[in-house]
Amino acid sequence: MITDVDSLVTTAVTEVFTTMLNMPVRRDPPGTVIRNGEALVAGSVGFIGTLSGVVYIYWTARFARAMTGKMLGLTEKEVESEEMVNDAVGELANMVVGYMKSRFSDHGMPCVLTIPSIVRGSHFKVEGVTSTERTVMCFDIADGQQVVVEALIKPIKKN
Amino acid sequence: MGPKILTVDDSKTIRLIIGKAFKSFDCEVFEASNGVEGLAVAAKEKPDIIILDLTMPIMDGYETLTKLKSDPELKGIPVVMLTAEAGRENVLRIAKQGVRDYLVKPFKEEVIIDRVGRIIDLKPKGVNAARIRRFDDSLTILVVDDKPAIAEMIRSGLKTETNWTVISRAQTGEAVDYCTQTVPDLVLISLSLGDGAGFSLFQLLRATTKTKTVPVFGLCVKTAIEEQGKAQQIGFTGIITKPIDLEDIKAKVTRSLNLDTSYKYFQNKNDVLVLSLPSNFTSGMANEVSAHLRVKISEAVDSGIDKAVFDVSQLKNADINLIKLGLDVMQLCNELSLRNRVIGSELISRECRNFEETKDWRFVNSFDEAIQAFNGKEIVQAA
Repeated sequence: MITDVDSLVTTAVTEVFTTMLNMPVRRDPPGTVIRNGEALVAGSVGFIGTLSGVVYIYWTARFARAMTGKMLGLTEKEVESEEMVNDAVGELANMVVGYMKSRFSDHGMPCVLTIPSIVRGSHFKVEGVTSTERTVMCFDIADGQQVVVEALIKPIKKN
Repeated sequence: MGPKILTVDDSKTIRLIIGKAFKSFDCEVFEASNGVEGLAVAAKEKPDIIILDLTMPIMDGYETLTKLKSDPELKGIPVVMLTAEAGRENVLRIAKQGVRDYLVKPFKEEVIIDRVGRIIDLKPKGVNAARIRRFDDSLTILVVDDKPAIAEMIRSGLKTETNWTVISRAQTGEAVDYCTQTVPDLVLISLSLGDGAGFSLFQLLRATTKTKTVPVFGLCVKTAIEEQGKAQQIGFTGIITKPIDLEDIKAKVTRSLNLDTSYKYFQNKNDVLVLSLPSNFTSGMANEVSAHLRVKISEAVDSGIDKAVFDVSQLKNADINLIKLGLDVMQLCNELSLRNRVIGSELISRECRNFEETKDWRFVNSFDEAIQAFNGKEIVQAA
């Protein structure tokens, strides 16, 4: 199942962005994470059960604001606060990971989700401990905005 | 006031999206951020439907649902679950709890509107207010016909007297796309579109919450009896036959949208209620005036007016439409003790004196003469 994470994340991201934001999604080649010092916002949601892990989804703070506006039918100026952006980013992360969780459960690996949390900054780095498998995927959203998904998953112990 | 919708979700984003989705409908949306708050709002507001998130802090969707179903006053409220977790096990568990429907995040606004619209009666904003829309207000009419000349004829015919915009689409698919973006005030569909496409479009519009109350007329030639019968059977609002009669379209649009046309006939002038008929007075107009008559006269009396003038000076002769309407006017004036005069030509005055029912109508030559008569200076028309 772990080997399917790539296609699972791709399907989840595509589903969420096309449905909620009507934005086209294109998978970028691996290893194309762009960091130019711009402020980033990450939404993270974990899952605990037969399979455990955490997924971080991040993009620039500027794009996060634009997405929030689009989701709520507001202009970027009308997006009142960072709290509003955080809530929208957390909800998008929740939807992506919720999709993954449902597929895990369908394959006999039930788990529960944690509440979403937000990380903001310009230079944060996601690292896993040695017992986790780390997968990094990049997507191009709306022709030019990068979305990065980092999944840290602890493999199931074989008895 | 329309139905009440309660959204219970810990995400403000989802609550705002749901509020936005139902903004164009005549309904009230209440919010709660967890199950405890949700139960409190449900008990206070008695919503017609609850959209309930599954994963929430303090009290989750399962527990909230259990508590709702065990409360005799709330157990009848239909619940739609909204969840980001769509696994089979989850869906089965939800189904067992007695929810009416469930939706999986991510979701499109149209989908949630449609699902909720299947459970409660959602009407677009403005439907209930349609009675006060006026004939000269802006309206959008969607014409679906593969013959562009028809839409063009309707467009050019209506533009002189109305503020109605005619949008034309040749294919039903294009019409559906248009209706998804903008809900027209009225739709005209050609019944001769291939493969019964016009009928299919009608059924789709009726099955869609946003358009289910929009009046839909079938367009066909007079001899297409079979199509007309089928259209009436499946519930089209009415039929408009080709060749197009613009007066017929205007009358049918007015009637189906309950447009107020009274301003064209009634006015208050110097504390006198004046009912004026135009030179092209028709039986359709007589019906329009009749529809407003009691209300307008009652309103006038209620506001302190005690005089009325029935101005038929634009008319050439007294036909049956005028006589019938005039009798209604006189009867209402008498019932409400409204002093009245009729402004009309000598010919009409003479014609009226020849009939028992109309011989007592008191004619004058002008509005000024009517005022003088009300002030006790009667000027009698020559016989």
